[in-house]
Amino acid sequence: MTIEIPAPDHAGRDRHQLRTLILAGATLLAVLFAVVLAVINAASLNQYWFLHFPLGFYLLAQGVLLFVVVSGFWYVRTQERIDRTRSESEEPE
Amino acid sequence: MNSLSRLRTPHPHLGAYYGIVTSAFVSLIVLLAMFEQLGWREVVIAQFMIVTPLLLYIVIAAGSRTRNAEDFFTSGRRVPAVFNGFVLAATAVGGVGFLAYTGVVFFLGFDALAIGLGLTCGILAGAVLFVPYLRKAGAYTLPGFLGQRFRSRRLRIAASLMQLPPLALLLAAEIKIAALIASLFLPLTFSLAVFLVAALVAAIGVLGGMRALTWAGSAQFIVGAVGLAVPLVTVSILLTSLPTPQFTYGELIPSLQNAEITAGLSPVQPEEVATDLPPMAPQKVLKPFFQSFGIFGELDFVMLFLCLMLGIAALPSLLVRSGVTRSVVEQRRSTAWALLLVAVFALTAPAMAVFVKLLVFQDIGLAPAAAAALPDWLTGLSGRQLLQASDANGDGGIGAAEILFTRDGIALTLPTLAGLPYVMTVLMAASGMAVALAAAGSHLFTLAGSMAEDVYRVLDPGASKQPRLAAAWGAIAASALSAALFLIIADIDPLRAALTALAFVAATFFPVLLLAIWWQRCSEWGAFAAMSTGFSVIFLGTIFGPHAGIYPAVIGLIGVMAGLLAGIAASMYGIKPPAAATAYWQEMRNPEGEAIYDRAKARAAASAANASASGQ
Repeated sequence: MTIEIPAPDHAGRDRHQLRTLILAGATLLAVLFAVVLAVINAASLNQYWFLHFPLGFYLLAQGVLLFVVVSGFWYVRTQERIDRTRSESEEPE
Repeated sequence: MNSLSRLRTPHPHLGAYYGIVTSAFVSLIVLLAMFEQLGWREVVIAQFMIVTPLLLYIVIAAGSRTRNAEDFFTSGRRVPAVFNGFVLAATAVGGVGFLAYTGVVFFLGFDALAIGLGLTCGILAGAVLFVPYLRKAGAYTLPGFLGQRFRSRRLRIAASLMQLPPLALLLAAEIKIAALIASLFLPLTFSLAVFLVAALVAAIGVLGGMRALTWAGSAQFIVGAVGLAVPLVTVSILLTSLPTPQFTYGELIPSLQNAEITAGLSPVQPEEVATDLPPMAPQKVLKPFFQSFGIFGELDFVMLFLCLMLGIAALPSLLVRSGVTRSVVEQRRSTAWALLLVAVFALTAPAMAVFVKLLVFQDIGLAPAAAAALPDWLTGLSGRQLLQASDANGDGGIGAAEILFTRDGIALTLPTLAGLPYVMTVLMAASGMAVALAAAGSHLFTLAGSMAEDVYRVLDPGASKQPRLAAAWGAIAASALSAALFLIIADIDPLRAALTALAFVAATFFPVLLLAIWWQRCSEWGAFAAMSTGFSVIFLGTIFGPHAGIYPAVIGLIGVMAGLLAGIAASMYGIKPPAAATAYWQEMRNPEGEAIYDRAKARAAASAANASASGQ
């Protein structure tokens, strides 16, 4: 089965792709930055306590995970908004 | 099944059905707890608790049986986001995560957090980078997507062959975990348990393919979640008076630290001990739980995290589920649910490990038991081969340093250590087995489905619907049998096998997927160079790396970098991709509309109908 795709020519396409790229990059970079920051500072942060946990341990065992989950749901919501903008701009004239 | 997938509605009573499944399982737990108090033997309780859910999975798979190719390979593209999230989470965690990761956290404490972080961030990376685009492409398999994206049969077959080693390793690891549980709690030898588990997983796959895996996998997730939550919450209430173990085990830290000091555990440095994960064989605890970077240095920690993250993000067994929901939006939401569920598990595992360690070290560490007066749990757990204790120093007592713990049995020891009824121990075992079966089913179907779709169907494109499914059935049966035979011959460590497999996946598939989805200029040769370079690096590194002291995570990351460079170089200096490949890329990036594969299939069917009408 050959898959032939007509070349699309949508006005908002490039803007949609750029915004998608920025959102994906921002989400992943924020998460990677959070992990690396927590790892680098874990030993020194362990002197402080938060919710009965050493802070460095807390960040890697819970804090970063919660941040990742919130980032994931935020990404889904924001990407849906970006997609909706594209589909509205591509409504048949 | 020719309707638009966006307009398909899931079964309206799904929630009620799985509510009934959950209620029935909870009722089984209550009933067996009552029968235990009435004097039923442990072996009978174990049989009921472990075998009854297995029968349930088979009944669900039989009810989901299908001979329709779209149902078989994509579950009819109408799975609700939450249910797909269930199966994605069960596949990502698996029996290896459930039992082996908990064990690693018990032994390494802080240092093991890299694994939980890698699993969770991997789901997010896959959701952001790959999943929506694979849903829009709509291919039944990952190699199928690459074949369509670059219009290349060679690439499709090569990708299918390159995903064999990691998927086979993951399948073997999950079957081994399930068989270990079965042989511990049921009157079965390990070899027989391996064959029975492989047969069960294959039967579910053969009956209904992805459809049966989805609905049986949802039940397996529910059994896994309930089976983990009930004993853990009970222990949490006993120890902290609160039912939220994830957030309250911090209160126990001073007690645990005191017990560790009394037991003689002192901080270690990476150069003092082997910088490696704990083996499967019983061993003693090496370091205090909260000591940071005692076994792994900071760089090792980050590399292990990154390798796991990239491996999970590109794991074919997870990505193959990208086509089962109604739309790109639903697919994205399902990965968000999976992310939440995996994160909850990653939050839970350290709590479980702290509870186990505290209960053991408080009893033994603070007051070494005389050989004549060992705690009940010590004799009980030794009898079940979950730990070994001996008076190594000949002082007439058992100290904490003389107890050897089995890594993959740590989670199973918790109910006994807390003095809970036996039914809680077998509940935990049924839970671990459920998650291992869900993951094994996904790996088996991905491997065998690819053999049928990407090798058999490419070599014999004229195959009608029935031989196409027959090829998948044959591949599922053959793969399950091969995995079982492999496990009988080879004594693999499930954790190491899974980590090596994820390093293989990261090196082989992450670069090619990243380039294929995010770079329009990527060509067929670029994709082939990325995939084959990454595969070669990890293959050679796995053989020769350990002799040079290089571990799979490092080799995996080298493979990712080498694959990306090779893919970019081959695309830049090779032949430009044809216009059709560029148009495919643009269409794949458009979240609106039907899956590209479905539209092509509909057009091919319409052309065939027109040709037949004009012929008459």
